[in-house]
Amino acid sequence: MTPLATALWLLNLVLDTGGQLAFKAAASDPHAGDGLARWRHMLARPWLIIGVACYVLEFPVWIAFLSQGPLTRGVLLGSIDMVVIMLAGRWLFKEKLTRLRVIGILLVTVGVAVVGAAG
Amino acid sequence: MKRGYFYLFGFLLLMGFDTLSQISFKYAGDHALPVEASMAWLMRVFGHPWVYGAVIGYVGAFFTYMSLLKTAPIGPAFAASHLEVVSVMLLSIWLFDEQLTVARTLGAVLIIGGIVCLGLAESHEHEAEDGADASSPAAG
Repeated sequence: MTPLATALWLLNLVLDTGGQLAFKAAASDPHAGDGLARWRHMLARPWLIIGVACYVLEFPVWIAFLSQGPLTRGVLLGSIDMVVIMLAGRWLFKEKLTRLRVIGILLVTVGVAVVGAAG
Repeated sequence: MKRGYFYLFGFLLLMGFDTLSQISFKYAGDHALPVEASMAWLMRVFGHPWVYGAVIGYVGAFFTYMSLLKTAPIGPAFAASHLEVVSVMLLSIWLFDEQLTVARTLGAVLIIGGIVCLGLAESHEHEAEDGADASSPAAG
């Protein structure tokens, strides 16, 4: 991959992970209440806005990344987002990493590495 | 049996919308080359009809996924929502003259295997949670 493609890939990874984590933080706030009050509570805090901002920025970044090489390679390399989001969930939200999940994470990571190494 | 058809149709529709998004992204991006951190590049991207195909794909996938999640178990739903890699790969050969190299095929098989494991992991976890809820009805 060219340095530009690598930079776009990493930027997409950061934005996708940041967006997912921000949405999770917004949605899982135990003080948020229900219904309309819940939305008001979420809108008054930065998490929902950060999540939306990450997704809005991710849109052109992903388009730019895909234009830097074959679509097959791009989509396969993009699978790493799942792994990083899951590891971040484990770190920040204390989500469980069961054996099956670890196997899944390893398989996706090795798959991405194989595709990436071949260029 | 009826429910089986509902899921099959739903997951295929979801895959279709996701595939439409990725292919549209690729067309929009290729059309806007070279990549620049500039307004001119953004104008080229958003001035091209394909980018709206991506928006349609996103919106369609969102509503399909939400409808499926009303009744579909989360594990298979999670896995199915990521399986567009297969359809994108196959369509890319035809649409973009891309090659199915050994590395890409091997990588795809590993990634899909990983997605299936993650889907199974989600299913198991939710079964366990449901079991815990059922055994302690006062907790909710």
